[in-house]
Amino acid sequence: MATLQAEKVSKRYAVRGIETWALQGVTLAIEPGEFIALAGPSGSGKTTLLNLFGALDAPTSGAVSLDGQDLALLSRSQLAALRLAKLGFVFQAFNLIPVLSARENVEFVMELQGSPAAERRERALAVLGEVGLAELADKRPLEMSGGQQQRVAIARAIASSPRVVLADEPTANLDSVTAGKLIDLMERLNRERGVTFLFSTHDPRVIERARRVVRLRDGSVVADERDVPAS
Amino acid sequence: MTPALAQFAGSLLRASTWRLALRGLGRQPRRSGVVLSAVAIGLGSLLLAMAIQYGLVAQMAEIAIRSEIGDLQVHASAWKDSAPLAERIAEARSLAALAREQTLIGVAPRLRGEALAQSPRASVGVRVLGVDPVREPRVTSLASLVREGAWLAAPPRRALVSRVLVGGGLARRLRSTVGDKIVLAVQDAHGDLTSEAVRVGGVLEAPTRELDESVVVMSLADAQRLYGVPGEISELALAARERSALEAPRAAALAALGSGVRVETWREREPMLSTMIEVFDQMGWIIYAAIFVGMAFGIANVLLMSVLERTREIGVLLAIGMPPARMVAIVIAESTVLVMVGVALGFALGFGGIYALRDGIDLGSWGDGLRAYGIPTKLMPIARSGDVTAPLIVAGVTALIASLWPALRAVRTRPAEALRRA
Repeated sequence: MATLQAEKVSKRYAVRGIETWALQGVTLAIEPGEFIALAGPSGSGKTTLLNLFGALDAPTSGAVSLDGQDLALLSRSQLAALRLAKLGFVFQAFNLIPVLSARENVEFVMELQGSPAAERRERALAVLGEVGLAELADKRPLEMSGGQQQRVAIARAIASSPRVVLADEPTANLDSVTAGKLIDLMERLNRERGVTFLFSTHDPRVIERARRVVRLRDGSVVADERDVPAS
Repeated sequence: MTPALAQFAGSLLRASTWRLALRGLGRQPRRSGVVLSAVAIGLGSLLLAMAIQYGLVAQMAEIAIRSEIGDLQVHASAWKDSAPLAERIAEARSLAALAREQTLIGVAPRLRGEALAQSPRASVGVRVLGVDPVREPRVTSLASLVREGAWLAAPPRRALVSRVLVGGGLARRLRSTVGDKIVLAVQDAHGDLTSEAVRVGGVLEAPTRELDESVVVMSLADAQRLYGVPGEISELALAARERSALEAPRAAALAALGSGVRVETWREREPMLSTMIEVFDQMGWIIYAAIFVGMAFGIANVLLMSVLERTREIGVLLAIGMPPARMVAIVIAESTVLVMVGVALGFALGFGGIYALRDGIDLGSWGDGLRAYGIPTKLMPIARSGDVTAPLIVAGVTALIASLWPALRAVRTRPAEALRRA
């Protein structure tokens, strides 16, 4: 069974009375353990599709399911609980909580999950060590570089042991060297932990690292390239 | 309890909720500081003003009770203020009946009458108050008000000429001083006109205009002789062991004295003053509520600004799986921190001010005018337990109400829309 499934999904936005179709009839299945890129130019619908898979938005038509559960049938609270239990998020603009340290940012998700304080502290430090930031655990986001903040965001995303990590343009605000290191990290976590990674990007250097590339244009899937060899 | 409510209650108990709230407020220290200052200065000023006002009313009551009324008074059932000599009770039997009453610490028999006081230079209509020189000081502070001369002598040390005490105002009206003789012309209890020359034995510094200008105080025995009612009195003034619980001594006095008398508390004898105190108690809540309702708008505004500024961050929190109830708890925690820290500072300001004025506010320059209304010339601010509980309860409600709108705004944030914002 697919971890994430979109079935004939369309999404329409209305801005000041003008309707725009961000997605049109997209059908896509994400299998467990995949390392998959949503590629396409700006406005192609990558972020919209990620938001739908992440239960952050609802489709205008069609159905989205996670582990066979139709997201349209869940309440706001149930969707929040589902995101907390099964999904991790990495955003383009890092989006860490500025008043919390790196460790507290990572711990926060585990606290929401109900982990005991000592356990989550130990695990947060371990995960930060895994992304190479153990020594910056007590720094706040504004005291770190963009690359460091994005690594904390990845640590936060994987700390809750999610089934899928959804990353929206995770390297867009990073220089090429830092972006490369970040993709290395995501790839390693995918390989070692078996976490499914679904990320949107329009950076060719990132796309070439994905093992499956789904290309979007004008809200539709125009190509689904499987078995792209890992570099 | 619904799951959402249980989740909300659980969220409020989490340290991280309060940590996030505190740090959230710390992001805009100036803005938070302005709100804190508004709450603190508003509450501090209010506390001080309320303490001064309550002090005024309480002192007025104290003056009325201690200068003449006592905590309770006993009269014959048909006794009237307008005809104080008409209905009387037996002195010895009354005193004997109340002698062992544990709820009372003083029993003072009195005879009240009316007279025309005449000096060689003036005549003034006066009220005569005959008091027991030994028992009266256990109930009122009349004896301590003597400014010149001396308090009444206890029997059998009576002079040949009766000695009386007059207020400073009456002494001026009669143009008499200590040692001067005046004549009291009265209609006695039998309807006969009679008069007696008495000597001014002391001048009182009376706290009320009534006592200052219109009352002649003399010993009970002299008054009984003057009015022809030996062994009889108009009233008993009683001092209770506990002024806050007058029903027990009232019931005890009624039981001891039997039928034919009525026992009134000072509140019944001074209904206007009593009403002032009751109204003041109720007004306290209303004033606190009015002030905090005003503050609630300011606090809600600050919280709403804070929520709007953090739309993206709130979107992230909701995206990573924060339950809506937790979001509400964080906003309420921010509001509670703002209000309660403000209240704590307000208490420090208000009670600090009350402590600073513990020696009283001297209103001596308006002394004559204030005495006319039984108002003390040295105003002592008085803080009550309600000055702590009322603001705390009202502030708690305010924090909740002020945070509802911002909390709803936060929880209605759509993560996808919030994350799209730059």
